[in-house]
Amino acid sequence: MSTAESLPALRRLPALGAPFAAGLVLILLWEGLARLPGAEVLLAGPWDVALWLRENAGLMGRALAVTGAEAAAGFVLGNLAAVALALLAFALPRAERLIAALALLVFCLPLVATGPILRVLYGPGPGPQITLAALAVYYTTFVPLLVGLRAAPATWFDMVASYGRGHVAALIHVRLFAALPYLVAGLQIAAPAAFLGAMVGEFTGAERGMGVLTIRALRALDVEATWALATVAALVSIAVYAAIGRAGRRLLNAPPPVLLAPPSAARGPSPGRLLLRAGLAGAVALALWWGAMEAFDLNRFFAKRPGDVWAFLVTRPEAGAHRAELFGALGETLALAVPGYLAGLALGAALAVGLTLAPRAASLAMPVAVTLRAVPIVTTAPLIVLLMGRGPAGTIALVAVMIFFPVFVACLHGLARAPGQVLDVFDSYAAGPVQRLLHAQLPAMLPAFFASARMSLPAAMLAVTVVEWLATGRGVGALMALSASLSDYAMLWSAVVVVALATVAGHALLGAAEGRVLARYAGEQLR
Amino acid sequence: MTDRHLSLSRRRVLALGGAATGAAALGLPARLAAHDGTPVTLQLSWLHSVQFAGSYIAKARGIWHGEGLDVSLAPGGPNAPVEPPVVSGRALVGVSAADYTAAAVAQGAPFRIIGVAMQKNPFAIASLPANPVNAPADMMGKRIGMALANMPVLEALCTLNDVDIDRIEIVPTQYSAAPLLAGEVDCLLCWATDLPVAMAVQGVESVTMLMADHGYALHSQTYIATDESLRERRAQLVGLLRGEAMGWEAYRADLDAAVDLTLEMFPDAGLDPEAQRLQAERQVPLMFSELTDAHGFGWFTEETVARNIETLAVLGRDVSADLWDRSILEEVHAG
Repeated sequence: MSTAESLPALRRLPALGAPFAAGLVLILLWEGLARLPGAEVLLAGPWDVALWLRENAGLMGRALAVTGAEAAAGFVLGNLAAVALALLAFALPRAERLIAALALLVFCLPLVATGPILRVLYGPGPGPQITLAALAVYYTTFVPLLVGLRAAPATWFDMVASYGRGHVAALIHVRLFAALPYLVAGLQIAAPAAFLGAMVGEFTGAERGMGVLTIRALRALDVEATWALATVAALVSIAVYAAIGRAGRRLLNAPPPVLLAPPSAARGPSPGRLLLRAGLAGAVALALWWGAMEAFDLNRFFAKRPGDVWAFLVTRPEAGAHRAELFGALGETLALAVPGYLAGLALGAALAVGLTLAPRAASLAMPVAVTLRAVPIVTTAPLIVLLMGRGPAGTIALVAVMIFFPVFVACLHGLARAPGQVLDVFDSYAAGPVQRLLHAQLPAMLPAFFASARMSLPAAMLAVTVVEWLATGRGVGALMALSASLSDYAMLWSAVVVVALATVAGHALLGAAEGRVLARYAGEQLR
Repeated sequence: MTDRHLSLSRRRVLALGGAATGAAALGLPARLAAHDGTPVTLQLSWLHSVQFAGSYIAKARGIWHGEGLDVSLAPGGPNAPVEPPVVSGRALVGVSAADYTAAAVAQGAPFRIIGVAMQKNPFAIASLPANPVNAPADMMGKRIGMALANMPVLEALCTLNDVDIDRIEIVPTQYSAAPLLAGEVDCLLCWATDLPVAMAVQGVESVTMLMADHGYALHSQTYIATDESLRERRAQLVGLLRGEAMGWEAYRADLDAAVDLTLEMFPDAGLDPEAQRLQAERQVPLMFSELTDAHGFGWFTEETVARNIETLAVLGRDVSADLWDRSILEEVHAG
C-alpha cells in the first residue's frame, strides 16, 4: 500500500528537479551580476540578501504583513470591480464601448495626480494603498474577461437560442465558462501588479510597509535591504502567480473548444458614428470628473476641474506657453514610450511562442518573467540605467520590461487555447511543431495578444512616466512630478488629460488593426 | 478624563523612561498629560525619522495634551505633497519650505509661514574628498547628480556666486548617493542631513558644502497654515507651535533621548540607529542659532525674511513679507 502510494511521488521527482535547477541557475546569474565592477552600490547578491533577511526577519515580516494585506484587499476589490464591469458591459451591450472607454481613462490616471487626492480623501491609514492596488489590477482583468466572454463557439449560442433562452442564459451557461481561462490569465497578471500598487501606494504617506522600507533603504544606500525587499516582493508574486495557475488548471479541465466563426462581413462603423461615440465617451468622462470632485468637495487648489484645464491650455493669455511646454514634454515621452511598447509586445509574444516550441525552458523563463514584473521599478531603474546608460536605451528597456509580462502571460494562455481536435489533425498529418504553431496556435493566440496589447498601452505610459520621474528627469513624467512639487496643479491635470488622450488615440489605432486581423482569424470576437 | 486614559498615559510615560523625567523637568503634571484634546493633524514633509523628533517629544511627553490638543503626525513621502492636506483643512499645519510655500501661494493657496524650524537651509553639495567641492566655483567642470526638480536651486546658487552654470554638467539622477559612489557623477545636490549621513554610515567619508554658507538664505522645515486657520483656530495653532518649541528644546538638550524615542515610536520604519544619531547631530546647527537662543525656537525677523525674499527673487519667485506671520510665535514665546 505504502509503496504503491509513494510511486507517483517518485515519478514526480524529475518534474520537481527542473524548477530546482532553474532556480539554482537564476541564483548563480544573480550572484554573478552582483559581482560586476561598480554593481556593489546598486545590487546585492543572494547571499547578502539572505543574511539581511535573517537578521531583520521581524521587521520584514511586519512590513510584509502590512503590504500583503493592502495588496490582497486591492487584488480582491480590483478584480471584483473588473468582473462587475465586464458583466455590466455585457448586460448593456449598447454601453459596452462607453464602459470600456471609461475603464481605460481611469486606468490612465497617474499616481502623481491620484496619490495626493486619495490621501486627502482617506486621511491616514491604508485607504490609498488599497485603492491604488485595486486600480493597478482591474483593467488587466477587465480586458481579457471581455475577450473571454466572447470566446465560445457559435453553435453553443445557437443551442441556447434553440431552447428559447436569451441573452442572460447565454451569459450564465456559455459565456461565463468560456471566460474562465481568460479570468485566470487576468488574475495571474494582477498578482504582481497588486503588490506593486500597494507598495507605490505607500509613497503617498504611510507609516509602515515594504514601500516605506524601500524608500528608506534606497536613500540610506542600504543595498542589501533594497534587494531583500525586492526579493520578498518577487517571491510573494511568484507564489501567488503559481497558486492561481494551479487553481486554474484544476478548475479548467475542459479542453478548449473549436471556435468556428464565419469571417465577419460587417463593415466597421462609419466615421460619423465613431466621432459620435468618442464625443459621448468624452462628455461622460468630463461629467464624471467634475461630478466626483464636486461630490467630494475637493479643493480647487489641487483638484482641478475640466474648466480649469481648459482655461490653462486654451483661454488664458499664457496658454500658448503652457501648451508648448506640455506638448514638448509629451513628444519626448512618446519618442521613448512607443519603441519601448513595441519592444515589450514583441518580447512578450516571442517568449510565449518560444516556450511553446521549447516547453522545457518554461521552468527557467517563468520565474524570470514574474520577477522582472514584480521587482519595483524604483529598485530596478538604477541598475538598468547602470547597465544601459541614461540615454534612451535605458528608458526603452525599462518600459519593455514593465509591459512584456502581461503580454507574455496572455499569449501563453492564448496559445493554449488552440483546440485539441485541430492539433490532432496536424499530428495525424505528421506536421511539425512549427506548422502547428503557424496554423493553429498563433491564430488561437491572436485575441489574447490584442487584448494584452490594449491593456499594455496605459501600462507603457505609466512605466515611461515613472522612469522619467525617478531616473531621467525628462518628458511628461518629470513635468508632472515637478508640477506637483511646485503646486502647479493646473499643469499636472493638463498633463493627465493629454496623456490620457494620447493613450486613447493609441487604443483607437490598435482597435482598427485588431478589427482587421480578428475579422479573419477570430470572427467570434466581433459579434 | 477616565482612569483608562490615565493608566495608558502612565504606562507610556513609564515605558519611555527618560521621557518621564523630561516631562517632570518641563513642569508638566501627569494629570495634564492624560488630557483628551481637540484632534488636529500636523502634516510632516517626509517619512517618520529623527527629522521630526521634536514633534515626537511633544507628543510622547504629553506637551500637546497639556495644550488641549490631540495631535496626529501624518507622515509624508515621495508622492505626498504637504500643501493639499493643509489647503483642504485635513491638516491644521504642514511642514513645508519657503520656496514650496511661495510656489503654492503663487498658485492661489492662502498660506502663511508661522514658524521656521530650519533657520539654515539644509541643501548642500556633497562630494568625495579626492575630488572635493569646497566652494561653488569648484563645481565648474564637474558632473553634478541631482533631481531635475531641483534645477532652480542650482541656478540660484550659481547666480548668487557668479558661477557659470553652463560649465557644470548636470546628470539627472534619483535622489541617492549611489551615482556618486559609482563614479557616474563628481558631486550631488542633496540635503546635508541625509545622503552624506547615509555615506558616513556606510563608511564613506564625504565633503559637504552647505549652500546656506554661500548666500542661499531660505527658510526650511517651515510651519505653514491657512489664513482661515490663523483667523479661526488661533488657540490651536499657538498650542501646536508651543509643543513644537518645547519638544525641540528638549531635543537639543538630550539628543540621545530624542533618537531613542524616535526608534521606539517607529519600530517598523526601518530606521538605522547610527544614521539617526548622526542626522540628529547634524540638524542642530541648522535649527538653532543666536537668533533662536535670543528669541526662542522657530523665530524669524524682518532681516531674515528680507534675505529669504532676495533668494526667492533669484529663484524667480516674487513674494512679499506678508507671506510670513509671526503673531503665533509671539504668543508662544510670550509665555
